[in-house]
Formats: sequence, structure tokens, C-alpha cells
Amino acid sequence: MPEQGVSKNHRALILVVERDPHVRDLEAFFLNEAGFGVEFAADGEAALTMAREIKPEIIITEVLVPKLDGLALCRAVRKEAELKDTVVLVFSILAAQSRAREAGADAFLMKPLAEQRLVQTVRELLAERASAKAVAART
Amino acid sequence: MTTPVGGSNDQFPRISTGNPQADLVLGGGLPANSINIIMGQPGTGKTVFAEQLLFSNAGPGRPIVYVSTLSEPMAKMVSYVQRFSYFDENKLGTEIQYEDIGPLLASDGPAALVPWLSALIKRVSPKIIVIDSFRAIHDLASSPPETRRMVSDLAGLLTAYDVTVLLLGEYTAADIERYPEFAVSDAIIQLARQSLGTRDERYLRVLKLRGSSYREGQHAFRITNDGIQLFPRLISPREATTYAPRLERTSTGVSGLDAMLDSGVWAGTTTLLVGPTGSGKTTMAMHFAMEGIAHKEPTLYVNFQENPAQLARTFTLLGLDMPKARENGLELMYVSPVELQIDSIVVGIFERIKDGRIRRVVVDAVGDLVTAASDTQRLHDYLYSLVQHFAVNGVTSLLTFESGISDDGSPDVAEQRFSYMADNVLAIALGGEERTRRTIRVVKTRNSGHDPVVRELEITSAGARVS
Repeated sequence: MPEQGVSKNHRALILVVERDPHVRDLEAFFLNEAGFGVEFAADGEAALTMAREIKPEIIITEVLVPKLDGLALCRAVRKEAELKDTVVLVFSILAAQSRAREAGADAFLMKPLAEQRLVQTVRELLAERASAKAVAART
Repeated sequence: MTTPVGGSNDQFPRISTGNPQADLVLGGGLPANSINIIMGQPGTGKTVFAEQLLFSNAGPGRPIVYVSTLSEPMAKMVSYVQRFSYFDENKLGTEIQYEDIGPLLASDGPAALVPWLSALIKRVSPKIIVIDSFRAIHDLASSPPETRRMVSDLAGLLTAYDVTVLLLGEYTAADIERYPEFAVSDAIIQLARQSLGTRDERYLRVLKLRGSSYREGQHAFRITNDGIQLFPRLISPREATTYAPRLERTSTGVSGLDAMLDSGVWAGTTTLLVGPTGSGKTTMAMHFAMEGIAHKEPTLYVNFQENPAQLARTFTLLGLDMPKARENGLELMYVSPVELQIDSIVVGIFERIKDGRIRRVVVDAVGDLVTAASDTQRLHDYLYSLVQHFAVNGVTSLLTFESGISDDGSPDVAEQRFSYMADNVLAIALGGEERTRRTIRVVKTRNSGHDPVVRELEITSAGARVS
């Protein structure tokens, strides 16, 4: 039985911003298998619109996506009060770790897709998010 | 920012081929997460290369999958791999899994490959996939565009996922421009075999390695029970060499010759001794070795004609106490040039001297290597590099070379092809009506004065004497 993201009763929702069909297919498979819900957007603008609508726990975005690139998407998400709790993981073919950090991303992973690394990173980010929310609720 | 877990962001991680020498040629191994082509005609060693890599990388966790297409029945492959020392039956079926997709490809065509691989990735998360033979898949395609689409799709899938792929195939050089997999590959390794008389010589060559330097050229190898034994092409050392790194004169072991050479030769230099057959080169070479042993200098004596027992007897006749000589560092290295590639011989010498322990080397005779060499230029390059390594390591060496003989009894000019790599060149000539009178002269010395006069050389059962 795959381990769940944060809550036993809650299937964490992940918005994946990716246009490579193979990466999409494999990400969907491995994240679903790990117990997460997955939605897709093929470009940054569509992703921002979708994020406002579905309020995902995590956005996993490639840097190289059309219309609004992954880093611009990250900056846009950080400006939205409604999405302040949304974690952004930049998952890219580019070695853009420092640029991702500057854009406000919570984590960066380099492609190719290694499912254990991806799933474990997602779980850690969700755990950090949950504890941060808990601390915020107490204060 | 959260540190990624379970892996690094290293852009160029490598995987070992399971063969340290091949890893050396590849600058550290094959790039991980890459598509690599291992090409070569049947019988060149592609499968051995791949299987050695597989068994070396197999371990707990993600498995390795060997996919057979159409070229060889799976049972046959598994049957053969058991002959090698790297085979481990405990890894079969778990850490290394064999899959046969020949029937699927035969019924559904090449387009079935990528969906099958995608399902494989989701099912077992392989860390390495070998497809053998990838070239055979082309035979099933109805048109080149069909293959091109499949290869493009394949590259997309395999680039998306954290897996290293080996595509094996009986490709020819012409196929490199013909088939699209060469364009999408990250590395291309060619294995070749060429016949030379009654024996075969095998070579490995890296044709492409993205994002990394590698050792260019042909690297000889042979297949043993341990798999591929590779002899990386010997290249000159990077350090600048000087011609007198050890500022001391050292004796040749023949006092009259030392006098001609202004008290011997510089330590760390190479001397070429040229002369026709029967002129006493081996005797002189043995004196040179014995002189080293007398001073407890570890000495390597390489020869291609006499086995160690024969050579020990000859040394003993010259007065050498063989057991004591061995204690004092005499090493005999006998190799038959008929049986081996020059690469393995020259690299073998290099392996013996590279740790700096050996101080004196004799190679008797370079001409035997010439006879064995299929490519004389290659031999020259190797010997030149070897001599440079001698210099860097401070090894004093003597190379003998059997010359032809001209009408006046002096050596012919063949040695000129080798003299450029030596610091000192000595020539023995046979004179007199019966060609029994030996003379020796110093043709050249570097950074040293010498006696230009032709001197008498006597070879007796007691050894050599120059007067």
C-alpha cells in the first residue's frame, strides 16, 4: 500500500506543468501510484489559471514551458495570496537551481525523472508545509 | 530551499563499464541516463562488453533488464554468459532480468517497442536497459520514416526517465549515417576484429561521447574468462621530460663501452643498440641488466625469443647468480610476439614500470615487435610513448634492434626509424672475411660527449669486452 502524502484522509493534489508527453505520462503514473492526485497543465498561463481554481498542494513545473515559463509561473504564484501555502517544485532539464531559488521555489530537482527521488521530495515538501501550517495555526 | 532527497544534481554522473581500463578510455565510464550504442560485427565482443557492465552494476534495488529482439535466442545467451567469471546466477531473474520481445516485434512491428518499454519502466523501474540487437529492429520496419518516428519516440522516453541504455547492433561504419539512433545517442563505442595471419586482433574505439573527453584511437583488447581485457592506447606522459632527469652517469656493464660513452650513460636515458644477428647484442644487453642488479636496481628484462628458463641459463653462463639476482630485483618478462598484439606487450611493460619501482629496463629485441606489428606506425607511436614514460620515471633502458647487414658489414639504415626516440645509439658491425670480427661505435649521444672511434668488440663465453 503506497504511503500517502500528508493526511490519511486527504489525497494531496499536485499540479504538473509539463509538455513532454513521456515525462507527463511517467510523472502521472508514479505520483498516482504513490497516492497523489495529479492534474496537468501544458503551459504556464494555463497552470496559473488552474492553480487558482483547484488550489493544489504542490505545483511541479518544468522551466521550459510555453507562454509563461516555469520560473515566471513560480514568481506569479508567490504573489497570489490565495496560493501562499502552495509549494512549488521546479523539475527541469536545465540546471536552474539558483534561478529557481531566486524565483521563490521551495525545491529544485534535475531531470531525468527518478521516481523515488521525486516522490520522496514531494513527501518531504508536503510534510514541511504541514508543519509550517501547524506552527502558523498555533501562533 | 529543500535539499533534493535521494540523489544529487550532478549533471554528469557516470556508470562503470565493469572494466577499469574501459572506464579510463571513457574518462570515467559511460554517462549515466544516456543512450549508448555498442556497434560491431558478429563475434566482436558486444555482448561480453554489455554483460560485464550489467553484472558489475547489478545490485539490490532497481533491476537491470536485458532485452533480446530477434538476433539471438535468450536461452543461448544465458547459456554462454555462464562461462565468464563475472557471471553470478544469484543475480539472474532478480537484479538482472532477461526479456525476449522478438515475438512481439515480429507480430506488431517496431512501433510496439516504445509502449512496451514504457510499460517496463512503470513495472520494474530499471536502472539499465540493454537492447540486443537494436539494428535487427530495422529489418522489421516497412519504411525509413516508420523507424525514424520510433527512434524519436524512443529517445523521448529514455531521456525522460532515469535510465542508462545500451543499444547493441551489428552496425557497419556506413550505418552511422543511415540510421537515426546514431544521431540521438550520447556515446558510440565500436568493437572491431581484424585478421592478421593466423590470429585476430580486436580493437575498441570510442566514436562519440557527448559532454566528455575520452582517449581517442584504437584500444586493443582480448576476451578472457574474466571478460574484456583492454589495453588502453599508450600515450606520452603529460609531464615535460628532460633528457637528464637523474644527474648521474650509470654503467652499461661493459667497461670499455663506458669509456667510449664518457663514463657510461646518463641515468634515465634510453640507449638503442643496433647490430646484425649474432653480433652480441643480447650479451651486451645482459651485461647492462647485470650491472643494474649488481647495484640492486630493480631491473626488468623483456625478451621475445627465450623463455625464462633459457634466459636464466644464459645469464648463469655469464656468471650471474640467478636466485640472488631475483632477490636483488631482476624480473624476466617473456612474451611471444606471435601470440600477442603489440599493444598488450608494450602496455604490459608500461604497467610494470609505472609505479616507479623498476630502475632499469632491457627490451631484447624491438625488431621482434616490428615483426608482430600489424601497424608499424602504431608500434612507433607506442614505443615513443613508452620511452617517454621511461624518462619521466627515471628508468634507464636499453633497446636492442636487429639490423640487416650491408656489404661492408655495417648495420643497414633500418635502425634510423627508431633512433629518433633514443638518447644514445650504438652500432655493432661484423667485419673481416668471415664476418667474425666485431666492432662497435657510438652513433650518437644526447647531452654527452663520446668517443667517435670504432672499437673492437669481443664476445666470448665470459661475456663482452670492448677495447
